[in-house]
Amino acid sequence: MTDAVTTPLTIPLTRVGDPTAAACVGDFCSIPDHHEQAVVNRRLDEDLV
Amino acid sequence: MREYAPHPGVEAIVTDVSTSPVSSPIKVDIWSDVQCPWCYIGKRKFEAGSAAFGGEVDVEYHSFELAPDTPVDFDGSPVDYLSQRKGIPVEQVAQMLANVTGIAASVGLDYDYEHVHQTNTIKAHELLHYAKARGRQLDMKERLLKAYFVDGRHVGRVEDLADLAAEIGLDRDEVVRVLTHETYLADVKADVAQAAAYGIQGVPFFVIDGTYGVSGAQDATTFANVLEQARTEREAVR
Repeated sequence: MTDAVTTPLTIPLTRVGDPTAAACVGDFCSIPDHHEQAVVNRRLDEDLV
Repeated sequence: MREYAPHPGVEAIVTDVSTSPVSSPIKVDIWSDVQCPWCYIGKRKFEAGSAAFGGEVDVEYHSFELAPDTPVDFDGSPVDYLSQRKGIPVEQVAQMLANVTGIAASVGLDYDYEHVHQTNTIKAHELLHYAKARGRQLDMKERLLKAYFVDGRHVGRVEDLADLAAEIGLDRDEVVRVLTHETYLADVKADVAQAAAYGIQGVPFFVIDGTYGVSGAQDATTFANVLEQARTEREAVR
């Protein structure tokens, strides 16, 4: 007798949304360009730049 | 001005899968790691999108380890960690974290990277599975993310995790026991295997009704739209 193993579902997913949305891959979390610009814009709004 | 303030009605809409009614809410499976800044930001954006959607949603969190080789007691700051592992200049890493902190603030999260404890999250994931078995996974997830990014708490050590679990009303002694005995380790590994089967390479990753895959901290409107799409498709087959 062997241990039961849970077999992962392999149903393909339909990808939706912005493919460049911010995510962490491995141990690195990149910041997409549009987020960088948003930060700069907010600082401009706050008169920090 | 904040783009998406935490929605006060979210808890009434986003419910733990283990406590949801038997009517057919939209199921949302979320792969996430505790020390993933976009996962907490994405959580807030998803909550805002779910609130805008207005229908019932069952959320279940799944484990994803971004850096499984990280020691529990990493000796250094997140800036040290990233600069050492990625070879990025310290100044550049500091600027990146400052930018992420600014983006987090836009969704109402007060990240404090000065006091973050970089660690291994495997035990935190085991705790999330324990909490799920007790119908408290959403509360535990929120507590862990806040503990790590906002409160400067350690989320890698058993005793610290037991303290956090006790803070939301879970049995501290039982938590110490299940984490020590790795009772839920197989569940963590099953989640990681499922992520691989779906082709998930980064987090946060949202699977809506087992059909749609949404990667990253998308805008709230994206989440609202895909939830609406899932509901529309359900109604079409009735």
